[in-house]
Amino acid sequence: MLNKFISQSSLVIALIVGASTSAHAILPIEKLDFFKGAQAYLVQTKALPMVDIEISIDAGDRYDSGVKSGLATMAGQLMNYGAKSDQGLLNEAQIADEIADLGANLGISVSGERAVMRIRTLSRKDLRDRAVQLASAMLSAPTYDAKILAREKQRMTTALLESETKPESVLDRRFRKSVYGNYPLANSPTVKSIANIGANDLQQFHKQFYRGDRMTVSIVGDVSKAEAAEIVQGLLQRVPQSGSPVPKLPEFERSPVEPLSQREVSIPFDSQQAHITMGMTAINRNNPDFFPLLVGNYILGGGGFVSRLMSEVREKRGLAYSVFSYFAPGKDAGIFQAGLQTKNDQATLALEVMSSTIAQFIADGPTQGELEAAKANLINGYPLRIDNNRKLLDNVSSIAWNNLPLDTMEIWTKQVEAVNLEQVKAAFQKYLAMDRMKIVVLGAKNK
Amino acid sequence: MRSTLFSFSLYLVLSCSAAFAAPEVGQANTHEFQLSNGLKLIVREDHRAPTVAHMVWYRAGSIDEVNGKTGVAHVLEHMMFKGTHKVKSGEFSRLVAAVGGRENAFTSRDYTAYFQQVEKSKLDEVMRLEADRMSNLNFDDAEFLKEIQVVMEERRLRTEDNPSSLLDEALTATAYMSSPYRYPVVGWMNDLVNMKAIDARDWYRSWYKPNNATVVIAGDVDPQVILRAVEKYYGVASARELPERKPQIEPMQKGTKRVQVKAPADSAQLAMAWKVPKLEVGRLDDNEPYALELLSAVLDGYDNARLNRILVKEERVVNDVGVGYDMISRGPELFFISSSMAKGKTVEQAESSIRKALKEVVDKGILESELKRVKVRILSDQIYKRDSIFGQAMEIGSTEMAGFSWKDIDVMLEKMQTITPAQVQAVAKKYLVDEGLTIAVLDPQARQSGESKQGGNRDAK
Repeated sequence: MLNKFISQSSLVIALIVGASTSAHAILPIEKLDFFKGAQAYLVQTKALPMVDIEISIDAGDRYDSGVKSGLATMAGQLMNYGAKSDQGLLNEAQIADEIADLGANLGISVSGERAVMRIRTLSRKDLRDRAVQLASAMLSAPTYDAKILAREKQRMTTALLESETKPESVLDRRFRKSVYGNYPLANSPTVKSIANIGANDLQQFHKQFYRGDRMTVSIVGDVSKAEAAEIVQGLLQRVPQSGSPVPKLPEFERSPVEPLSQREVSIPFDSQQAHITMGMTAINRNNPDFFPLLVGNYILGGGGFVSRLMSEVREKRGLAYSVFSYFAPGKDAGIFQAGLQTKNDQATLALEVMSSTIAQFIADGPTQGELEAAKANLINGYPLRIDNNRKLLDNVSSIAWNNLPLDTMEIWTKQVEAVNLEQVKAAFQKYLAMDRMKIVVLGAKNK
Repeated sequence: MRSTLFSFSLYLVLSCSAAFAAPEVGQANTHEFQLSNGLKLIVREDHRAPTVAHMVWYRAGSIDEVNGKTGVAHVLEHMMFKGTHKVKSGEFSRLVAAVGGRENAFTSRDYTAYFQQVEKSKLDEVMRLEADRMSNLNFDDAEFLKEIQVVMEERRLRTEDNPSSLLDEALTATAYMSSPYRYPVVGWMNDLVNMKAIDARDWYRSWYKPNNATVVIAGDVDPQVILRAVEKYYGVASARELPERKPQIEPMQKGTKRVQVKAPADSAQLAMAWKVPKLEVGRLDDNEPYALELLSAVLDGYDNARLNRILVKEERVVNDVGVGYDMISRGPELFFISSSMAKGKTVEQAESSIRKALKEVVDKGILESELKRVKVRILSDQIYKRDSIFGQAMEIGSTEMAGFSWKDIDVMLEKMQTITPAQVQAVAKKYLVDEGLTIAVLDPQARQSGESKQGGNRDAK
């Protein structure tokens, strides 16, 4: 049981780099040749006989239409359940058994922006090759069997109905609807939208989005550059290089200034705790103000126990077990969000403390002492962000996905170091404003 | 010794011709020391990156609690951040943050542990802080009164508003009649309401002694340098006699127990738990715990494992299913299967499907190929596990707390590879019987929500 809730610390998706005190050099990211229109990158780490591979596909939930919300996720997940390989049809049992027999891990997850296939395998060539062959079949020719679709739709429906009874899920769904406005990520799957999805839709979606020019491959582990190129070619040999144009997504519009009555939603809910969240649209990862916001948010609500929100809400008043704030900067859209949970009769007070802490930070910015402490933590703590293959893979993949410079890891601490007080204050005032914050309060009505 | 055997068995299991070199790890890279005050130190060298995980493990968890004061081990864990004679409340975290560290703590049934992860040159700094609070904790009553509110919020968040946790809590409290494993680690709410600062202080005075602690350090370190630092910082604490631990042996169960929990949810859930043996210290040759571990993997160790294949994919009677068994622990063990119902299916149907799948194992045994598959997983995980310095320290610490040595980990893995299908069949037959079974059912209640009425999500029902 963790004492301290490790809050989804801010821009963590970001990379770190750095410094300094160690003789260990930062491992370089090597760019591999384009293949089938896909970009590919490698970091060689030789200490363990294993390799981690990630394929990011620009095929996230944001391409769902509202009436078929859940389609992108379903298209990704069902790739596990049947594919045509060079040797013939592989059913779901054969795929699962092959993964297990290889001692490999292989899974697909779908988020708002992208679908991600991750493979972890021993680096020995015969095992690695089999893992790549299997992944290649799943990526290029999933079968999308109608019977399996029916089963998975039923499971997803059951899970959706269950999620309606869970405070955090109901809160999250309502918050997304508020903060994303006309952008497709405002939609969440419903029983009805799931029912609308047919096997044809999955085929269609896969054909349109799962192609080389929408893919990025990141590799970390015990392989040479030539072996890595072989892996990329093996993975993508059967995917098409391109396809029909993908319709442009709607503009991601800044959260408007609104009176409180229009920004705040209250959801009566029979739970012991009230769940409260607030937030608004913010920045992309590529934004030049990324670093001032990263450092500033560490101080506000990203720095665990030493953050202002934790100090005001938990340490001084004992109002909540967890309280956090973070920026989630994506490739094309990003938001800021803060949240907490507290027993129902304290909800009003807790919301007040959270709001005034954030408002004061936007108005006044941090103190010089806070700024120095934040920078010290981020810079000194850099090595912890890249000290194993899994973390390196996260970094490489984020750099690739967000089109960041390949030396991002090497200059990261310098960019943190360069942040000053005025930049933090100016950036918070530029992107955040209390009269634009969407607020959702879920819980029993209190007097 | 270990790497040789290890690479040999992986070679055997994967049965392939290409040469395979197991990574160098194991006994040569791990060092154990004992200070004169009884503190044990274990250092795992891993020079892949310039970072280090520093942990102190106290052998005091909820298994050491008594009724009326449940949750006190976890409450004290919270209070450990509330200051010492030299470091005032909140400073601990601030100082760790200043050196770029990550820190946290966790309490389980068997132990309470604290950790920091830092760049290697900052190790001394966090060690000094951690050693200080081993002996000099000093919090005031006002801090306690605020923090106990935080712990109650934690319980509301994790348990009171979470039907799966409520079910798990009821299952455990029903399965165990006498063992303190029946208490939730976070404590009963009423015990938290009535807890006093003195209860936490007593707990600290009783159990937080060097002779009840193990320091585990993993990462880019030199063991001799580490030993000197640990002697300097932790060596000043003095050993003291620990309170007597009563055995509190769980009486033999004599028939099926059932419990029902009504809580807001949409689907019913079913959890079945059998009393089974665990691995006993000094008896590493006992086949049964390994066979039970492998049984759980054959039932639930990969996507096409038996229960998922039969219950979720073929019969579609449950939405998901999971199996749990942990062969090492201080207290008695359960082998449990939990599941949530598929739409329109009843817990009776799920129970009957689970029983049928288990009977299949009991009557016909398992395939050599199934067993081989889950053994490969165990071996490859040994390599993947070394990707994380933190994970290595966790494994060493939790093994030590259960009373075993970190050296036993390799012995256990080797033993696991020798288990046969017949031995797996035998434990299923011997232990998954009604006499030792507890069944818990979550009976879902409608949750009052303003959202679902307007959400339109229920129109398919």
